[in-house]
Amino acid sequence: MITIGIDVGSITTKAVMMKDGAVVSAKVINTGYNAKNAGETVLEDIISEVRIKRSSIERIVATGYGRNSVPFADKTVTEITCHASGGRYLNPKIRSVIDIGGQDSKAIVMDEKGRVKDFAMNDKCAAGTGRFLEVMARALEVDLDDFGKMSLGAKNPSIISSICTVFAESEIVSLISKGEKRENIIAGIHNSTSARVVAMACRIGLTAPVMMTGGVAKNIGVVKALEKKIGHSIFVSKEAQVAGAIGAAIIAVDSI
Amino acid sequence: MEILNLFREIANNPNDYVKTWKEENNGKVMGYFCSYTPEEILFAAGALPFRIFGTGGNISMADAHLQAYSCSLVRGALEDTLSGKLNFLDGIIFPHTCDSIQRLSDIWRLNIGFGFHMDVVLPVKLNTDSAREYMVNVLKKFKQRFEKELCCEITNENLKASVEKYNRIRTCLKKIYEIKRENPDIISSSNIYAVVKASMVMDRNVLLEKLPRVLDLLEDKKSEVKYTGKRLILAGGICNFPDIYQIIEDSGGAIVWDDTCTGSRYFEGTIDPNGDIIESIAQRYFERHVCPAKHSGLFNRGEHIVRIVKENNAQGVVFLFLKFCDPHAFDYPYIKEMLDKEGIPSMLFEMEDLLSSEGQLKTRCEAFLETL
Amino acid sequence: MTNKETVEDPEKEKRKIKSVKKMKEIMTNYYIEAKTADQTGKKIAWITSGGPVEPLIAMDVIPVYPENHGAMIGASKMGVDLCEKSEEMGYSRDLCSYARTDIACSPINGGPIGGLPKPDMLICCNNICGTVLKWYEIQARYYDVPLFILDTPFCHTEFSIEAKEYVKKQINEYLKFLEMVCDKQFDYDRMKQVGQLSLKGQRLWQAVLDTTVHQPAPMSAFDAFFHLALIVTLRGTQIVVDYYSSLLDEMRERITSGISAVHNEKHRLLWDNIPIWYRTRWLSEKFASHDACLVADTYTSAWCSSLKYINEGNFLDTMADGYTKIYLNLGVDKMAEHVIEMIDKYNANGIVMHSNRSCKPYSFGQYDILKIVKEKRDIPALVIEADMVDERSFSESQIETRIDAFMEVLKARK
Repeated sequence: MITIGIDVGSITTKAVMMKDGAVVSAKVINTGYNAKNAGETVLEDIISEVRIKRSSIERIVATGYGRNSVPFADKTVTEITCHASGGRYLNPKIRSVIDIGGQDSKAIVMDEKGRVKDFAMNDKCAAGTGRFLEVMARALEVDLDDFGKMSLGAKNPSIISSICTVFAESEIVSLISKGEKRENIIAGIHNSTSARVVAMACRIGLTAPVMMTGGVAKNIGVVKALEKKIGHSIFVSKEAQVAGAIGAAIIAVDSI
Repeated sequence: MEILNLFREIANNPNDYVKTWKEENNGKVMGYFCSYTPEEILFAAGALPFRIFGTGGNISMADAHLQAYSCSLVRGALEDTLSGKLNFLDGIIFPHTCDSIQRLSDIWRLNIGFGFHMDVVLPVKLNTDSAREYMVNVLKKFKQRFEKELCCEITNENLKASVEKYNRIRTCLKKIYEIKRENPDIISSSNIYAVVKASMVMDRNVLLEKLPRVLDLLEDKKSEVKYTGKRLILAGGICNFPDIYQIIEDSGGAIVWDDTCTGSRYFEGTIDPNGDIIESIAQRYFERHVCPAKHSGLFNRGEHIVRIVKENNAQGVVFLFLKFCDPHAFDYPYIKEMLDKEGIPSMLFEMEDLLSSEGQLKTRCEAFLETL
Repeated sequence: MTNKETVEDPEKEKRKIKSVKKMKEIMTNYYIEAKTADQTGKKIAWITSGGPVEPLIAMDVIPVYPENHGAMIGASKMGVDLCEKSEEMGYSRDLCSYARTDIACSPINGGPIGGLPKPDMLICCNNICGTVLKWYEIQARYYDVPLFILDTPFCHTEFSIEAKEYVKKQINEYLKFLEMVCDKQFDYDRMKQVGQLSLKGQRLWQAVLDTTVHQPAPMSAFDAFFHLALIVTLRGTQIVVDYYSSLLDEMRERITSGISAVHNEKHRLLWDNIPIWYRTRWLSEKFASHDACLVADTYTSAWCSSLKYINEGNFLDTMADGYTKIYLNLGVDKMAEHVIEMIDKYNANGIVMHSNRSCKPYSFGQYDILKIVKEKRDIPALVIEADMVDERSFSESQIETRIDAFMEVLKARK
């Protein structure tokens, strides 16, 4: 049986194909302006890659902020439920998921059976999200992919107090002009991001083991800052970015 | 200048100072929040009143209890206590002021397991007889409860001595302000800030020995040289940003007087040590300029600020508010209008915990001073 | 158009509450009377929603509620314009949007009813927040009319004897204030009747709210948000008693004939905080689409929370208790107890909290309330970040995702 999960996020759109309970392929593309096109494109990509007929797909589940703009989906499920289920697939022991995506961040706590018990999401503003990191990386003229590693060498992380992206950016500009070391500033940004996320997670009582999903899981600096704050190590899978899409594909199986 | 260094040190590290004090004196430390705390009663019982400012910076634990739209004082103070930075407190006192402090008191009471917790629900109106009577009753009850908590008796002699000392402290602080007003050059506002802040946390007996030395130092430096910079009034709530003084002074201005909770509202007015002292403490609150969370007529805050501008020969007003501080933000438009009518320019800074975007602040400050 | 009406969903038609029409009439008449008060010679008092209105009714003064005005501005989606206007006047965006929009209406006669009728006096009771004090000071300066402040000390853990004495004294001051402004003696006999009518009205309103104990609920909190207006604005009059009696009849009738607010009610939720006025319909439909009904709320029931403290035979003397010990004037732990009582009473299996940027005393402490509730009752909770009037603080896609996810959690539990 073949199912597909599509996660239309604000920055990237992800698709995962599952066959008989295992992931066979995953694709990530930029969402761009048109979320509807992104869903269609990523589906075509994955079909042409594994060379199957579209008709052999039994079910498609869409998730992510653009889940309702995937007309061919059989069902839509929120990213909360999908990240929980995708997280459990990647590591059946986990009880909590921290997901930091482009426009929002969330913390999810599950019961022993993996059902979502409680969740929290960030405020309307961008602080503590992937977008925030992206803006900061631009302000520092550092490639986002190098951002994480660079911060690991920081000796004295700067304190970034503002929770507003615009003000945080100008804080960073003034740190740069003071000659503060780049790695310290980046470490400060990571601390500030993780502080926001941990605060949110505390509200629902984060339970170990914790997994991190979403694109920002690729940023080792944020992961380390989070680990320090919550006092547990965090499990990050190679497939962290597509965990939501995996979850959707699993839910597709269950819904048949 | 040594004497000023002492104050700076305490102002920079009030927690360390108090921890040492506690060890050496085996005394009780009472945290408190605003200038409506009847410190005189605490001090009369031999306790050390310790004002809480909230250190700011990385907030994470407090955010599990408070939304992002709470002010940095409330979030910062909760963060400090949740993270154990205030573990030396033997108790905490919440005078009733604004909605945010009111809820902070609840959250504190429900989450902080140490020390005792006291709400001093003072009246909001400070201009009626029934409110005065109520305030006296609240203060009397507060004294009783405090005696019970500390297993001590606060005698009338204790109270009288305490009030007299506080009168002297307040008079000294006021004199320092007056010298600054005459000779803005001889002491920087950040030094004054350090003196006032330290005065709210340090051993008041030691403070009483040290404050006259600051005065002596300043008297010696007095000169006839006329100040050539711009004279400004600072108005707002709590000011915990020494850097802002530096920015103002670097831009060619000086704060010659203020209307803030960590400034003139703290030291204005003395207490009559004769007669019923509790009534005299209440009397001071009734006469003093109010915090905008209190009511004492419709125009009195605006009139007061216009008056201090004139009395102090100031050229402009800098409003410094904590972001999300409702009482100040509600009063701002009418006070600004009153200033405008008098032809007094003003500028508003809204702040969050640490000085954010310093560059922008500097530019705004310089531009404002250029217009004066 | 006529075609469209005939194809209206009969299911939906059946669910509509018939009393709505009557209610709209009453409110229209009320505002007409208030707006033409200068012709009838009646005086107008602006009063806070938690303020003691009964003495005003007894003195034949028309009470007008700026907070109700704020809600109307929100519901008619005029909030953003007026908020921006208030920002131009110098008010910070972080201030209460009821206050901001009302203040902005005054100089331009703005808002859905062209501004509130000018007040002859202002009555401010701070039992709901400290914001009203600042708001009424501003309006007292603007209209240059006398302001009476009823200061009800906050009850963190107790309503102390001295606080009670203070409030009692102020109630006397209040009556004297009214005698002075109205230039006539206070009518104590009339006050007795008004007090009785007020209590009758409150009891009936509570009875209406309690019909949702029935499963499925004949009405939802969204209906309560609408029908609430009368207990706030006309408390102490016969109109309220008559209206709620007929509304109660209609609710009982709905129960008997099996008409529910939400078709196929499966989930019963409790709402906390002031409604998101510009999105009540959207939210109501959103929850209904998940077979969820908001069966009760902490907001509309606040107008009967003093019932247990007021003595019918001695209204004036017991008013101090009634007006001081209301929901928002209590400590967070007391509020949590109240929430738990409501969960049990209405058999709610989920809680939805509106974290309302405008209302700090209602919103700060919500996380601790949730913590206490979750320790005692195993039910999931949802927090929605928004604002009651200022639409700029509402993010549809985020809130939709949260509601959908919350409903997924609830469904998985069933």
